[in-house]
Amino acid sequence: MKKSTVKQIGGWLGAAAILLSLASPLAAETKKNPKAAPSLKVGDVAPDFKMQYFDGKDLKDVSLSDFRGKKNVVLAFYIFAFTGG
Amino acid sequence: MKNFQQNLKKLEATDTQVLGVSMDSPFANKAFADQIGVTFPLLSDWGGEATHKYGVYVDEYKAARRINFLIGKDGKILEEQVDKDAIDPKKIVDACERPKLKS
Repeated sequence: MKKSTVKQIGGWLGAAAILLSLASPLAAETKKNPKAAPSLKVGDVAPDFKMQYFDGKDLKDVSLSDFRGKKNVVLAFYIFAFTGG
Repeated sequence: MKNFQQNLKKLEATDTQVLGVSMDSPFANKAFADQIGVTFPLLSDWGGEATHKYGVYVDEYKAARRINFLIGKDGKILEEQVDKDAIDPKKIVDACERPKLKS
């Protein structure tokens, strides 16, 4: 095997390792070991929060208490923007 | 998030507000929403306060795990979906369509 080929293979392995480390949050998510159940259970009172979002013009405040007595709320936590799901 | 978008009309018809949450900045979330065609707010939990309060922070990711909570008008948790099960929100959509939640 030529020296340059060996070098190239080494480079590919390095790149693969970097890709694997980038993919680790998703890989961890699909691990078979189930993680601990969430500490908040069905029937518990959901903690209030205040967070912001950008509507394209302004930053808007949103609190859970805004919806009390008016609407049900789905809170969908996701890992990072620009990931699937 | 796209799966909630696909069910958004059904959810809105049952008086349900959908809110995405991540620890990204509001501007990254807006760009993400535009890219995937999401029209409901994606909230920015910059600093992770809500993520910690809800007990969904994962050290390994330095971020939230994937989890959906359905919270009723009385502020109590009605349903939850965790990790892989949280990708398809059917359980939550079905719960919203149960007669008692519609009223």
